[in-house]
Amino acid sequence: MGTTIKVSVGDKLPLFVRDGTVEHWNRFAAVNNEFAAHHWDPDIAKAEGFPAPFCMAPLQLAFFHAMLRDWLGEGGRIISVTAKLKGPFFKGQTLTGLACVTGINVINGEKHADLDLSQIDETDRTIAIGKAQVALSDN
Amino acid sequence: MSGGISSTKVTPEMTAIVGKTMRESISHPVTVSDIRKWAIAVYYPQDPPPLFWDENYAKTTKYGGIVAPEEFNPFAWATEKPSITEPKVAQTAFSEHELGVEPPEYSAMLLTEIRESYSATRICPGDVIRSTVRISDYFEREGRMGHMLYATLSNEWRNQNDEWIRTTESVFVRY
Repeated sequence: MGTTIKVSVGDKLPLFVRDGTVEHWNRFAAVNNEFAAHHWDPDIAKAEGFPAPFCMAPLQLAFFHAMLRDWLGEGGRIISVTAKLKGPFFKGQTLTGLACVTGINVINGEKHADLDLSQIDETDRTIAIGKAQVALSDN
Repeated sequence: MSGGISSTKVTPEMTAIVGKTMRESISHPVTVSDIRKWAIAVYYPQDPPPLFWDENYAKTTKYGGIVAPEEFNPFAWATEKPSITEPKVAQTAFSEHELGVEPPEYSAMLLTEIRESYSATRICPGDVIRSTVRISDYFEREGRMGHMLYATLSNEWRNQNDEWIRTTESVFVRY
């Protein structure tokens, strides 16, 4: 509590990895009331032009948040997260979340870090990109 | 409003509704169970951090109790307003019709970008969250699909003490 983690520009966060499974996405569908069939029904996904069911965008956004929290611990906080969705995360694929510190600033006595975010699949195809700003301490 | 295009699809009526409240929702009081389920679903198959599910642990933290993950959504299921008996309005997709304005014709609408910003105040069990949605801007450009009309939907959340919690800006493109 209240401790500032040591951060430098160029630091990379631990990877955040999740397999694309309906078992996972159904759990998120249940809490977010998000039951579009293309997230779980292969026939519907194909009829809409997709090769397989794909993950919900809010869950992909939640993955960015979880990755940041895993790194920050409870001493920090998320100030902002932006995400641009570049392509679906399909069932059977593996998503890897990456983040790199791009800047460090002190704002009103609070140490902030800027980060570049991305999510790729196992072929290095970019699924999403984004940016985040976090506070590193609890002043 | 426009960049590199010869005509605009943004009518004076559309410009006039920028910044006006399009819809307002009020959550039921958030419960510990709501928060636990959300965290379990996001972190699956790993266990979520104990701050989101272990009350004894959470009491020892700076928060003094369980708080919700920043991205937690208290409006997913039934809400105080609109009530469960009223027609459900999608939280993200939108239409100018909601403010009595005719939207432009288009063949597709896609969500292209999400921008979340958070205060230091977290959502806690018992909180009642008010969501206010507005169109915050329009802009246009020529793209691969022709004339692209972008609209930013701003969704501001405040708690029962009128403390700002979060703002979500969702950028939709229509073409």
